[in-house]
Amino acid sequence: MSQPELNDEELLQRAGRRDVRAFEQLYDRLAPRLHGLLRQMLHDEREAEEVLQDSFVQLWDRAPSFDPARSQAFTWAAMIFRHKAIDRMRMLGRRNRLVESAALEHSVLDAGSDAAADAELETSERAAAVREALRELPKDQRQLIEFAFLKGLTHHVLAESLNLPLGTVKTHIRLGLLRLCDLLKGGR
Amino acid sequence: MDERQEELAALNALHMLEGDEQRSLDGACVSDKELRALNTELEQVAVELARLVTPVEPPADMKKRIRAKIRSRGGPGAFGVSRGVIVGAAGWALAAGLAVASVWLWNERSKLIEQHAAAVRAIAAAVPASSPAEERKEARSLEDELKSIRDDYEKKQAALNTEIESLRIRETEAQTRITQLTAEADSLKQQNAQTQMEITILQSTVWEYRRSEMIVVWDRLRRQGVLMLDKMPRVEAGKDYQLWVVDTQKPDPVSAGVVTVDDKGVVKTQFKPVEAVDKAAKFALSVEKKGGVPKKEGPVVFIGP
Repeated sequence: MSQPELNDEELLQRAGRRDVRAFEQLYDRLAPRLHGLLRQMLHDEREAEEVLQDSFVQLWDRAPSFDPARSQAFTWAAMIFRHKAIDRMRMLGRRNRLVESAALEHSVLDAGSDAAADAELETSERAAAVREALRELPKDQRQLIEFAFLKGLTHHVLAESLNLPLGTVKTHIRLGLLRLCDLLKGGR
Repeated sequence: MDERQEELAALNALHMLEGDEQRSLDGACVSDKELRALNTELEQVAVELARLVTPVEPPADMKKRIRAKIRSRGGPGAFGVSRGVIVGAAGWALAAGLAVASVWLWNERSKLIEQHAAAVRAIAAAVPASSPAEERKEARSLEDELKSIRDDYEKKQAALNTEIESLRIRETEAQTRITQLTAEADSLKQQNAQTQMEITILQSTVWEYRRSEMIVVWDRLRRQGVLMLDKMPRVEAGKDYQLWVVDTQKPDPVSAGVVTVDDKGVVKTQFKPVEAVDKAAKFALSVEKKGGVPKKEGPVVFIGP
């Protein structure tokens, strides 16, 4: 029996009640974007696939504790996947260095270009709001936040990699995230 | 909350902290509710950025691989029949012969599941939102709690299984004993039915026999009895005591034979009436001519009941 009318939160709650079909439907919805995130962070297709698999297993394990009043299914899941990716980077010793010199150019979210937004994003109001809020940030802040989010590096490594003073990195990230927070709450 | 703490919270939201800075923030969050809230809020905001990542389709067999991995682990979260159901079913099977114990076991399991769910809800309610460190701590706590509940449940189940086995052994022993007792009871009933004894104690109204005693034990089925006399006066020469059985179906008492007492006036002897007696209503002892008579002639010294 299909469950096309259910939203992500309902599917995750059902998965928490051991509904395999709901879990697989949730996988269909979330896997492409989370896989994209892991590829960006790990720069290794095989590693990304392994972490994707492990993370979905963990998602299944933890689904009973999901509370829709506290977070959305996507952000709740993304947090699990990102933690897993950072753990893997730490294990591989990649957290303290850049994997490739060209990483910076590739570490860009689709906030800068309308053309980059795919059809699914266009249908997601929340994604549109995030994109809009990100555009509102000064370029330096936005780039640092995007880079930090996608690379999973420590601020020391980030400052060194970008040849920026550590204080500048910290300040940009603090101001940028606080502003992003305000914007997503409707502030101006 | 100062600017430095805000900075740590922002860096933490992007998982940029390590070592001392991470510990410093975690420590501050414990005592600073406002900082804790900011930390959680920033982390939620940061992870929203994942919505803007360009999607990449995973390999076609990824879903199958995930399913296989979850299945291969078994345990409570495995796909298909859950461990709890298997354990529950085993409990039912084990307790098939002992329904009460089985129901108790099932109820215990339900209670434990409810307790665990309540614990998860309580933890979720107590912590409105979590930092990564808190989430890891919470996850460890939940895992420990779940393990503890599972261990506790398995101990109870093992104890119950032992008790059920013990009860089965005792039940088997009790059944054997009941069978033996039933057989003994049947045997006794049969013997009792075969004997059907009646005991009659008689006293004389004749002055000379006022101290004498006469006891008759009559076996109705075998139509014979035992006579006991004590303190009987010696009969005069040429005379004998003679025992009679009165049957209401017969016109005259039926002779049960001559009775000879010893020097002390005592005798114990078996007797059998000379004719079949269907219903012995009374017994009588009379003094008759030596050697006895076929039909009572002399005086009766005992009669009863």
